[in-house]
Amino acid sequence: MTMVEIRIRAEISRDGLSGPTWFALVLLISWLILPLIPLAVWSISRSWFFPDITPSAYSLRAWRYVFSSTSEVLPALGVTTLIALCATLLSAIIGLPAGRALGLYQFRGKSAVELLILAPTIVPGIAVALGLHVVFLNLGLAGSFLGVLIVHLIPTLPYMVLVMAGVFANYNPEIEAQARSLGADPFQTFYYVTLPAILPGLLIGSLFTFLVSWSQYILTLLIGGGRVVTLPLLLFNFASAGRNDITGAISMIYILPGVVLLLLGARHLTGRNTAAESLRQI
Amino acid sequence: MTNVSLENLTKFYPGETMPAVKNVSLQVESGSLTALLGPSACGKSTILKMIAGLLAPTSGNIRFDGQSILRLPPDRRDAVMVFQNHLLFPYMTAGENVGFGLKMRHRTRKEITQAVSRMLELVQLAGMEQRKPSQLSGGQQQRVALARALVLRPQILLLDEPFSNLDANLRLEMQQLLISLHQKLGTTMLFVTHDQEEAVSLSSRIALVLEGTLRQYAPAATLYDQPADREVAKFFGAKNFIPGNCTDGYFECALGCLALPEEASIAGKILTFRPENVILGTARNTENSFQATLMSKKFLGSQTRLELRKDAVTFQALLAPHIAEPLMEGSPVSVHLPRRSLWVLG
Amino acid sequence: MLDRWKIPLLLSPALLLIVGLFLGGLFLGLIGSLGYMPQLGREELSFDAYRNILTSESFCLSFLLTFYISFTSTVIASALAIIAALILRRHFIGRSVINFLFQINLTVPHLVGAVGILYLFSQSGFFARLAYEFELIARPSDFPALIYDPLAIGIILQYVWKEVPFIGMILLANMQTFGQDYETAARSLGASRWQSFRYVLLPLLTPGLLAAALIVFAFTFGAYEIPALLGQNYPAALPVLAYQSFTDVDLNARPEALAMGMIIAALSAVMIVGYARLARRYVRT
Repeated sequence: MTMVEIRIRAEISRDGLSGPTWFALVLLISWLILPLIPLAVWSISRSWFFPDITPSAYSLRAWRYVFSSTSEVLPALGVTTLIALCATLLSAIIGLPAGRALGLYQFRGKSAVELLILAPTIVPGIAVALGLHVVFLNLGLAGSFLGVLIVHLIPTLPYMVLVMAGVFANYNPEIEAQARSLGADPFQTFYYVTLPAILPGLLIGSLFTFLVSWSQYILTLLIGGGRVVTLPLLLFNFASAGRNDITGAISMIYILPGVVLLLLGARHLTGRNTAAESLRQI
Repeated sequence: MTNVSLENLTKFYPGETMPAVKNVSLQVESGSLTALLGPSACGKSTILKMIAGLLAPTSGNIRFDGQSILRLPPDRRDAVMVFQNHLLFPYMTAGENVGFGLKMRHRTRKEITQAVSRMLELVQLAGMEQRKPSQLSGGQQQRVALARALVLRPQILLLDEPFSNLDANLRLEMQQLLISLHQKLGTTMLFVTHDQEEAVSLSSRIALVLEGTLRQYAPAATLYDQPADREVAKFFGAKNFIPGNCTDGYFECALGCLALPEEASIAGKILTFRPENVILGTARNTENSFQATLMSKKFLGSQTRLELRKDAVTFQALLAPHIAEPLMEGSPVSVHLPRRSLWVLG
Repeated sequence: MLDRWKIPLLLSPALLLIVGLFLGGLFLGLIGSLGYMPQLGREELSFDAYRNILTSESFCLSFLLTFYISFTSTVIASALAIIAALILRRHFIGRSVINFLFQINLTVPHLVGAVGILYLFSQSGFFARLAYEFELIARPSDFPALIYDPLAIGIILQYVWKEVPFIGMILLANMQTFGQDYETAARSLGASRWQSFRYVLLPLLTPGLLAAALIVFAFTFGAYEIPALLGQNYPAALPVLAYQSFTDVDLNARPEALAMGMIIAALSAVMIVGYARLARRYVRT
């Protein structure tokens, strides 16, 4: 490396930031955090009228309501969680083989298949769900838990397939041949060799898939027809009704899985394109 | 210990017009250490995978002690493969890796522990049970892979270039280890390699595979001195191919009328001899002696390569440097080709 | 062996589901938008629904509004994301904390962000109160309307809030793969800092940036809950209008709702084709 190069390199990757840059950065980060703050404050405020900057009285009323046996929040939390868990499980079972095919093999028509799997993550759910509605109605699936679960698979499955394709792209299938050669039957090979190898990726994929289902609004609204009440539906209703304290409390519960996911170290993964792109669904 | 026989084994990969393996028949004797030698992508690994059951042959048969095993899945074949990349399961300890196959066979924990520690001792890794593969050196990893296969006492151990990722010194060490394991355990072993030195130093018999076909299956020395055809000879570094005619125990060519060894007296058109068997210098009035001109000399370290010409024919000789030293380029030398070093290609 | 069937076998469950639900849904939407409604006894196909909406003022205003919202938020978010990525790739104290905070809203659902924006920017929201505190306004209604407003500022603010980290993370990942060697080379060839950004880094980032922007555009064009919460009633964003028509008591409005859905789908299809092109070019470089 020449002296010039060293100097230029040092200049490009200068350590530390200048004053104005720091200011811009802090401004940006504050802007990203800011919308979450009034939600948190509202959830513990009793009265917070214009023009008070801070609430005039605090209470845990909203939280007590949320966790009371008469509120709709706990059942909605249960339904949302159950749908997200089932959607994740089904996506994993259906998506894992497809991810394997896409990650391990080259074949004719592969890019078309990839495009087909990518498409549901880009085409807005409303366009698909409006069309499906009549059929779901005829099949008795509209307004049912099962119907909502099935329609959630449209955004969750592609995501799981894409994550697993990424996992299998870095996977050496010879390790399975080795296990078979050492006397493991196909089931043993999957359980002792394949599964442990793909488990970290599968877990991350599952967490994201869970979040994708967890965040659905319009699909649940259209196919659930208001009879399958998930947290976002409830959140929307309370927000439109102006119940700011309860809205704040539900919001706090609603963002919890995502924050947990980030804290669990998924930030290593969000740097990768596929993972970041799939967060688009949330 | 098992007699393994391959019968007219052929493999076409889907979508390809040329077979990867073509009509290969081979008898691997029980308890032997046989090398399957050939350049990369010649089909030798495909043969190994077919024996292991990881690939199905397009046609042909594989028998262990006379029984066809084609219908058996890989886990029931008892033909264990060791890959080029050690393929240790990364989340298991060395001990768990070695015990893997026994666990799959539902052996008791005590049995497994004992067998694993005995096996690790044999590959000189005693007490390393708790190490993770990432904590082992390259040589140690490959030794664990060997132990993991041998602990199962397979009918045949299939080794697919197991040492080619190791550096030269380590490779020699591993070859020694493999030979001693073979002597101690007597397991039938089939060893794939593209390195002729490795093949020669490891095994008693070598099967040479070129472009998917078995060209010659013989002891190492035979492959060197009596190659079946020109490609085999070339693969083993033969440089001298002299055209001529074979008549009645003599070979008529530009170098003169050369007396052939008895076993070479076939009606071939090309004479070959290894450069290191050429004798130069002192004029001898015996058979197979003649005068040639020294065209060039090239010092190669342990040997010197000389290029000689007689009439329109050039050929090579390899000599110890101190013998080649006094010979002058451009001057005549007397050449002697011992009768036993000559071979005629069909 | 199974070789030949292995790949189709592995792919078929996922493909069946996507073809059945996703393409099936789109197909049903298409024939429905053409007036095929056997449950009402209508089986002849026509372009009436498209003709009706394309000549109606509410649809056209709604389309323009939605396009304006998507375009503006995508452009602003992309620009801010470039700046953010340029800062975040540098080494500085507290970088990992800042990085974490930068990503935090990636996993926050859109709806939560929309409610947060509502509480910040409505006329009785946090900023209105701050303005009152500094005596800039006397009443909530003096505060400029940023929510339910004709310029859809609240909606755009929400999209920008949510998409800056998304695009920013993609750009950061791209910058990591390129490293700084190209820029170093440019600088040693005499390019200024601006020139090496403009002529070296930016062209390198363009495919990734455009791909991210296309995804964002398609999403913002079809999102329902954000404009439903933060937008005005007339003209409403296209997905809101589609939902309203679909749930209208008059079943004759249904083909029109489906037609709007098809228009949203068609626009996102254009984005997908663009994305595929970019992805291919991106792989090649």
